[in-house]
Amino acid sequence: MSSDFYTASILPYAAIIIKICRAYTNSQEDFEDYYQEVCLQIWRSKDNFNEQSQWSTWVYRLSLNVCLTLLKKKKNTHQYFASDALPDEVMEDSHAFADESLNQLYDAIKQLSEVDRGVILLYLEEKSYQEIADIIGTNPNNIGVRIKRIKERLKKALDGKVN
Amino acid sequence: MEKSIETIWKKGFLDSDALVAPKLNNLYNQKSKTIIDKLKRMMRINIYAVAIYALLNTALYAWLGAPYAGVVIFFLLMGVCWNSIRQEKAMQRIDVNLSSYEYLKSFNHKLKTAISGSTNAMRFLYPLAFLACLMPIVQALKAGNETSAAIADSGFHLTYGIPTFGWIIALGIAVLIYIFGGKIYQWDINLIYGRIFRKIDSMIAEMEELRK
Repeated sequence: MSSDFYTASILPYAAIIIKICRAYTNSQEDFEDYYQEVCLQIWRSKDNFNEQSQWSTWVYRLSLNVCLTLLKKKKNTHQYFASDALPDEVMEDSHAFADESLNQLYDAIKQLSEVDRGVILLYLEEKSYQEIADIIGTNPNNIGVRIKRIKERLKKALDGKVN
Repeated sequence: MEKSIETIWKKGFLDSDALVAPKLNNLYNQKSKTIIDKLKRMMRINIYAVAIYALLNTALYAWLGAPYAGVVIFFLLMGVCWNSIRQEKAMQRIDVNLSSYEYLKSFNHKLKTAISGSTNAMRFLYPLAFLACLMPIVQALKAGNETSAAIADSGFHLTYGIPTFGWIIALGIAVLIYIFGGKIYQWDINLIYGRIFRKIDSMIAEMEELRK
């Protein structure tokens, strides 16, 4: 991957890639692996980008797909190595950010289903319902209801720390 | 004061350290290690499988009344195992401190050299194994039973009690196996390891493009 491509096409979207990868990983090591894999996949798939959607939408979609695929792979591996202690990893990452409220919010997001995590991340990034639906591959009419439900679950998980 | 989810999100990411992108310097480390480990594991399983087969085959030939043929095949298969163990040890000598790209390149080079060496060895091993497999038939035909008596009375030219044309056919097949031994071995290897070999090649190609 040329540094030009990374600087011009990935780095401006690094923030969202980081946010997405953080929501699907429980350790710094996994986070870095996921981030690298997302960047690699964006570079690999750059020729498939058909310009019907925005580049940012393409990046969001790829990031989510890569994270979901890696998570699935990891789950399969964990079925064979059940002794891998997930709770420790969660604890390790619970202080990934300096802002404690953000750490708590991330912990709550990680309790959501894999698709719901993607939906709420896109919502928090102020994507329109149409864009969220395009990226997730669902009907935009469902997105509003879904977001409302997710927010209620997050509020519950945060136990009254948010309004 | 309680904050909304949206506020937590926005304020949390105002901190500049929250969104530091990791460096992309470790892109293939884990992957190359995983694929090489997988290949080594498969090679080890293959060695065990050949060794177990060699023992069972020897027992089978002894049971069929042709222990010498069994012993010959046993030693041929042990030769295969010895060669595989030697190759595996050579691969383990590759410096693990090399970068992923150099390690993978070095491993791939050693692998290709080993396969090329084995291809030459297999050109001899396959025909020898074929001839060894014929030994029980030769033994049965020379056993002095009705079949051997019929062969003796058939009027065919015999060499060591077996029709000469039979020897010629067997040797012809052995020569053909020698000629195509390399291809047979390549086919055999591709059947077992082909997917991993292709994966290593594509990883090296991708890494080379990434290094540009």
